[in-house]
Amino acid sequence: MSNVTYASINDHILHSLKPPGKSWFASMAVILTMLGMGIFAFGYQIRHGLEGSGINNPIGWGVYITNFVFWVGIAHAGTLISAVLFLVRAPFRTSIYRAAEAMTVFAVMTAGLFPLIHIGRVWNFYFLIPYPNQRLLWVNFKSPLLWDVFAVNTYMSVSILFFLVGLVPDFAVIRDESKGLKRIFYGIVSLGFRGTNHEWVHYMRAYLLFAAIATPLVFSVHSIVSWDFAMSSIPGWHTTIFPPYFVAGAIFSGCAMVLTLMIPLRAIFPGFKDLMPMKDLEAMAKMILFTGFVVTYAYSIEFFIAYYSGARYERALFWFRPFGELKVFFFLMVFCNCVAPLPLWMKSIRTNIPALWVISIFINIGMWMERYNIVVTSLAHDFDPYAWGTYTFEWVEVWITIGSFGWFFMWFFIFVKIMPSMAVAELKEALVPPMRSAHHE
Amino acid sequence: MSKQFTGVWAAYEYLDDFCGAVRELRGSGFQRLTTLAPCPRHEIDHALGNPQSRVPFFTLAGMFTGFTLAFTIMTFMSLEWIIPVSGKPIVSYPIMGPVLFELSVLFAVWFTVFGMVGLILNDLRKYVFPSSKAWKKYRRFTRDRFGVIVPCTQHDLEKVESILNKYQAEEVNREA
Repeated sequence: MSNVTYASINDHILHSLKPPGKSWFASMAVILTMLGMGIFAFGYQIRHGLEGSGINNPIGWGVYITNFVFWVGIAHAGTLISAVLFLVRAPFRTSIYRAAEAMTVFAVMTAGLFPLIHIGRVWNFYFLIPYPNQRLLWVNFKSPLLWDVFAVNTYMSVSILFFLVGLVPDFAVIRDESKGLKRIFYGIVSLGFRGTNHEWVHYMRAYLLFAAIATPLVFSVHSIVSWDFAMSSIPGWHTTIFPPYFVAGAIFSGCAMVLTLMIPLRAIFPGFKDLMPMKDLEAMAKMILFTGFVVTYAYSIEFFIAYYSGARYERALFWFRPFGELKVFFFLMVFCNCVAPLPLWMKSIRTNIPALWVISIFINIGMWMERYNIVVTSLAHDFDPYAWGTYTFEWVEVWITIGSFGWFFMWFFIFVKIMPSMAVAELKEALVPPMRSAHHE
Repeated sequence: MSKQFTGVWAAYEYLDDFCGAVRELRGSGFQRLTTLAPCPRHEIDHALGNPQSRVPFFTLAGMFTGFTLAFTIMTFMSLEWIIPVSGKPIVSYPIMGPVLFELSVLFAVWFTVFGMVGLILNDLRKYVFPSSKAWKKYRRFTRDRFGVIVPCTQHDLEKVESILNKYQAEEVNREA
């Protein structure tokens, strides 16, 4: 970052906030079409009930819960990068974390929709919130689904606050660099922040505490999501490995999604290449490689324990996954999550932008397949062969899934145009400050 | 902020000059300084004598509040509406873990935010800021300049200005 100065950081960020061009509007048109498809399908589902989906008995959790777990997983990398890597002072975090945090917020917003879509009668969703109602009913605190309500809502609240608190000094930067209406708008959202010592001292301490609090939250949320499955007695779900396996998988998929989003961002905005050097992306690739191995290990140990435990239902299910009628999804999962990241061992691949991007797409697909495998195969083949069933997803589910990507990308595209997509103050903090004498204090 | 500001403010290009000036000002008895910087720097903290924040107390208070609230609602609601599940105790402690943790975190974070905002407002209220046109038009403290505001009496203006200039301030403005 030799040619980067305090002033050039401001200039690059301001450039990214210029009015959007044709390509932005063209992308937005595609995104809104996708979102429209999702809204239409959801409208159809409200009118006709779940008949447009493939959900049946015994497979009551289908694509919707798969999507829920997928998006919560995507959301993990943002807080991991912004909080955990802040605490361990990882230098490659600075350029990436703002966009990763935005990704977290939008992914949780997407994930939060799916339980609502899944329950069918969406207007009754508030039954899960513990509040005094007319029937004097209270929620069941012994249910992992209720823990999940608390976990996901806390996570959403904390990640949004963390994101917004981080943005305040950067909004102040834009306020001071702009005129007219824009200055008024950013003046309001920057809450009068000026960068005085009285502000920084409390701000930095609060930020550190945020990071410290958010760190256990990263691990707790996906653990609790995994308990949605692991607390039941269904073969394939009832395993103690689920929490670490889910957390590693979440970080894996989240880091992949960070690359999927950051690589185009870096290419589109001039100057971002200086702010986000190749070694930052390479560090992300290494995280992917590491978590990919954890996930691969978890896959194999699941099979080993199914064999070694002697539990016949468990063994039957793990036979069903690679050899049953849903084997395509299983092998897609294994290929995308275990095999596709392997080229990242080579530095030439880790520093090759198109290769990184393609691998990240594979991982996104693979992690979706993983959740699909977990949700569907276990429900399809539980204890009694008489009660076995199968599942194919229908158009409503596909359209709503497409719509969820539209929803996520819509927010992300709006974000890059109205908010600084890199953390200005933190990028400056990472630079060697301007000194008259050569030595650094 | 009805009070009129009397004193000097200056802008610096280099951090070491700036920290030198801050140190000398504090050494000369000007303790009520306000510094401005585009990003937090530990050098400035050292020059200011490492001020500490009391935000962590709010975080701790939030954590206890969340924990107590979670424990109370779970106990109360379990007893108010009895749902026997697989022969488990009606008020069961092991199952409380996740909700205790989540609400502790949630309240800790909200208390931290409100604590931070409250402490900042409380500190800012004790200081008077310049109000001249030159001050309002100067916008580089969020870009690439370090600034210091020194409130002082008419009598001390010369002295403060000479300290600021000694460390090669880019500009020094007097407001009296």
